[in-house]
Amino acid sequence: MGQNEFNEQFFEQLLEDYFAEADEHLRSIRRHLLAFEDSLRDGFEADRKDINELFRSFHTIKGISAMAEVSAAENLAHHLEGLLRSLRDGNTGLSQDSLEAMLAGTRKLEQVIASRKNNDPIPPINAEIERIEIIHRSADQRGKAEPQQPGTPSRSGGSIKFRVFFEPSKELAARDLTVTTVRERLEALGTIEGSKPVIRGEGKIAFEFVIAVADGSDASGFDSLRDDGITVTAYMEDGPAPIDGPHDPDLADVEHIRPSNVVRVDLARLDELMLIVGDLVISRAKLSKKLAAVEDLLPVEDSRDLHEINQSLEKQLRNLRDGVMRVRMVPLAEIFERMRFVARDLARDSEKRVRIDISGEDTEIDKLLVERMVDPLLHLVRNSVSHGIEEPEDRLAAGKPVEGVIRLHAATVGDSVLIQVSDDGRGVNIDKVTERARDLGLLAPVDGIDSDLELLNVLCSPGFSTTLEADRASGRGVGMDVVKRVADELGGSISLETSPSSGTSFSIRLPLTLAITDALIACVGEQRFAVPQLAVSEVIEIEPGSIRTLENLEVIEYRGRALPLIRLSRLFSMPGDGRETVQAFVVNEAGGAVALTVDRVIGQQEIVINAINDPLAKVPAFSGATELGDGQAVLILNVSEIAKEQRTK
Amino acid sequence: MDRILIADDSPTIRRMMIASLRNLPDIEIEEAGSGLEAVERLALGPVSMLFLDLNMPDIHGIEVIQFVRSHKSFAGIPICVVTTRGDEESRRMALAAGADVYLTKPFSPDQLAEQATKLLSRN
Amino acid sequence: MTLLENDMGETFVLFELAGTTYAVPSADVRQLEMIEHITPVPNAPDAVEGVVFSRGQVIPALSLRRRFGFPKVDYDLRSRLVVVSVGERSLGLIVDSAREFKRIPPGSISPPPETIAETTGKYISGIFSEDDRLILILDLTELIANGDEIQTESNS
Repeated sequence: MGQNEFNEQFFEQLLEDYFAEADEHLRSIRRHLLAFEDSLRDGFEADRKDINELFRSFHTIKGISAMAEVSAAENLAHHLEGLLRSLRDGNTGLSQDSLEAMLAGTRKLEQVIASRKNNDPIPPINAEIERIEIIHRSADQRGKAEPQQPGTPSRSGGSIKFRVFFEPSKELAARDLTVTTVRERLEALGTIEGSKPVIRGEGKIAFEFVIAVADGSDASGFDSLRDDGITVTAYMEDGPAPIDGPHDPDLADVEHIRPSNVVRVDLARLDELMLIVGDLVISRAKLSKKLAAVEDLLPVEDSRDLHEINQSLEKQLRNLRDGVMRVRMVPLAEIFERMRFVARDLARDSEKRVRIDISGEDTEIDKLLVERMVDPLLHLVRNSVSHGIEEPEDRLAAGKPVEGVIRLHAATVGDSVLIQVSDDGRGVNIDKVTERARDLGLLAPVDGIDSDLELLNVLCSPGFSTTLEADRASGRGVGMDVVKRVADELGGSISLETSPSSGTSFSIRLPLTLAITDALIACVGEQRFAVPQLAVSEVIEIEPGSIRTLENLEVIEYRGRALPLIRLSRLFSMPGDGRETVQAFVVNEAGGAVALTVDRVIGQQEIVINAINDPLAKVPAFSGATELGDGQAVLILNVSEIAKEQRTK
Repeated sequence: MDRILIADDSPTIRRMMIASLRNLPDIEIEEAGSGLEAVERLALGPVSMLFLDLNMPDIHGIEVIQFVRSHKSFAGIPICVVTTRGDEESRRMALAAGADVYLTKPFSPDQLAEQATKLLSRN
Repeated sequence: MTLLENDMGETFVLFELAGTTYAVPSADVRQLEMIEHITPVPNAPDAVEGVVFSRGQVIPALSLRRRFGFPKVDYDLRSRLVVVSVGERSLGLIVDSAREFKRIPPGSISPPPETIAETTGKYISGIFSEDDRLILILDLTELIANGDEIQTESNS
């Protein structure tokens, strides 16, 4: 490889790694700064652990920024590190000013790195550095900081200490017993108060840990350690820091990075893998069909063996597919936490008190979706803070608690993920929106907004939401069209509920990009359709005699209640095949269960889901198309959408 | 066969350093992400030289140097400390504790390889 | 592109529909396929015959006969699916036949005359006259615009 080529590739890889690692550290920094904020608000000192971790994070960012030649980031990180050092050594205290300086610095740091990533001009950092300098200068003048109310979580009260010795060896390492894994196990049992390497008899190296375990807690965790050859003894003196030598004060459970157990994977490679798995699924389906066709021509034993092999293959493919899928899925927790940070930031700029409640953060979605969802969520959260949540006086006047609540919620619902952003603010002012919409020509002068759906459409039309004056009065701000666009592009949908008393709630529904799923294949008329298995709770047979008609609606009796029937042949304007008995999919939908009738269910197989992106062919009743092995497109039914639409008729 | 141990808590830096040294003749490269891990590597096999970041989780780089220098079996291992700009204090302490040389970030792959060659040839 | 090519104009793909010849820029054409199976999409706009897989993607197949208000006919061996790309979108146009490539010098394309039937008029961006035939240059962007429904007597 030529020298230049090597250097270029080399630097590219370095940059890639840099952005990924910087991102991780920035996330950790955000978390700790939030903790600082809580401490400050509650009148406590900053937690030692947070200080140390923040210090290390800024220090690391400084180092990798230097290597990646992003000097603005190196410089800024250097100053932030200095501020944290000052905090750690007690030269500065945690105050509104110092916190602001850290927050402003971190924000700019994020921007600098993002600019470098996008090859945009790097923004100036002088203001943020100056801010930090001011903190240092005023600290110098004041002398050591005044101690605030004590309140750092005490670690020594009510705990028992143990001394743990671990002697590493190749055999133990082969069994995944390394100083790192042992440390992790200890962290799960209690708080590590110190660690150091020691030399034991015969020059053997060992590691000594002192761990504090809460009084009365279960000591059986230590038994598993003992089983693995690790010595655990009671620690005699309950005195000051048992480990001597220079070290970071108050070494506690510092977040541990396991260098060799984590692999960073390019999303593009995962996409490739998914395509390959998709191809495998189709190939296997073809194989299955051929097998069925030739089964009778083979000796019984061979036929049986082939059958078994095919089944194993199916199972293995399923596992493979699940595995690859899992690699791509990430919990929404991270992105929600980011929103928390944003909201606090915004609220701070005004007089408002805002709290973020998060639930369902363990819900996982495809990594690609996560990235796309950042902007829409940002818009929604910003809108809630800026326009939804009222000023404290207004809230009190309305009988609401001073602190506004923004709720971020996520859940898996059938084959979709639901993400909700709600606030208990003043709701959207429909009159003002109507007025503005008329002014902008989005509504005819005589038209009004009659439903939440219409309101949503107006709010999301580019003309409306890009108006600079989308302001307080109207109750919503810029960016709603982005939210709608992203949801559309991802094959999802959005909905809105609002009222002046209970606030506003936006829901974004996204289909899980589980590109492969199990499906039932059914015939309606001459055409085959696929229905995702997850969406169906049961397949039933319907005798013609069992259908009753209630006010224009056909129902059947199902487990003791009346189940409305939707004839897909009618819905799709197709001739049914005239048979008497039909089959139906029972679908549970928000409004209740519903049965969708088909002519017959002809099979079940794994399908690869392809999105239908072109607006000309997009119909709500279908969530995509697939191919069953013969090259023909087969539409995939969106049963919940069908059920919903029918209900509103 | 010379064994180079790279201790740094940043995977980015580690990957970069490994890529820089890979082409040196007759060497094996080991990596560690913390001070304790670095010591563990020493325990598990002979190490010809050590690149050491100072600010790592669990124990500080200086402690690692002190540990290494105070025990016969490892006392002679060449240690190159890797620091960032503005870390003069730590650098002084590291050299005083027994580090042989230091490199400051940013450094180029060539500088790293040069340093490694120099230190390995001492043996 | 050489100067010579420049002078000679852009290349177009020509196709037949109900006896008339149309042209689309070949730069916009991804593929010419035979009509195999088009999956109907219930409740899609009338002119959308259905969807097909093309290069791993699901694309709509637009019946130009329906679009232009011509009576529908059965497909035969000459029927073609002209897969075009317009911006981010890919679609298939169902035509009676498509075999020719032709270079048309830009100077010789005239604006569409008023006499062209209203239904097709808006989709034509220009006209090229050759000895024995008129070639109508299609405006693809107009053609695939969403929400356009032509009500004609032949629609049923």
